[in-house]
Amino acid sequence: MARFKISKAKDVKEEKTSMSSPKKLQLLITVVNKQKTEYFVDMLYNFEINLQTVLSGHGTADDHIKSLLGLTDNEKSIIISAIRRDRANEALAFLDEKFRTVKGGKGIAFTLPVSSTIGVAIYQFLSNTFNGGQR
Amino acid sequence: MSKYKHEVILCIVNSGFSDEVMDAAKEFGAKGGTVIRARGTANAEAEKLFNIAIQPEKEIVMILVESKIKNDILHALYRAVGLNTPGQGIAFTVPVESVVGLTDFSAEAKSNTDSSEA
Repeated sequence: MARFKISKAKDVKEEKTSMSSPKKLQLLITVVNKQKTEYFVDMLYNFEINLQTVLSGHGTADDHIKSLLGLTDNEKSIIISAIRRDRANEALAFLDEKFRTVKGGKGIAFTLPVSSTIGVAIYQFLSNTFNGGQR
Repeated sequence: MSKYKHEVILCIVNSGFSDEVMDAAKEFGAKGGTVIRARGTANAEAEKLFNIAIQPEKEIVMILVESKIKNDILHALYRAVGLNTPGQGIAFTVPVESVVGLTDFSAEAKSNTDSSEA
């Protein structure tokens, strides 16, 4: 099994050398069982995330008979978080570990690139930076 | 070929067609998806102009797949639940930078390549 590696060293170096340039944003999408929503939302706030939105959905049940009997619980939550790019790998590595170790905490997570945003205050809020520098 | 290894397919269909979406996607190797209920909005004038009715209840099916099977699945979705079918589906993909929680995918993909080489 391929374990998720914490960021490539090159990425980290790039982020450090360009302190003054704006921090890139990413969207972190996490799909987990509904009962675990609060747990993951709370945990994700540790990664300089200031904005999270939770949608509810359901997984596509593989086993129809089981789902007809109500034996499977496929209620899911989709957590959308705006995260700074330099913290994204850390968050993903954390989630990967939790997906393996927490009982009933299996899920998937992935990051999407954000190409633009508008408004300085909004950007600072989303990226958790103030006065354009390190917080 | 895109530099991204995975893409997320978002398919917006009329309510009740998510099963058809998943059936079509599974044929080409998708493993599972997540269905989100949503409400569509459309320009009322445009609806009149094109003489179509937009059903507001929608389902968004989110399927995370490897980039190499993305085109096959998009074609399958177009045929199964495209705009000219009752599903009235729109499908598009978004590149994904990094993924966790899909370990069985990589394990299976590896064993597939092994067997094809043998």
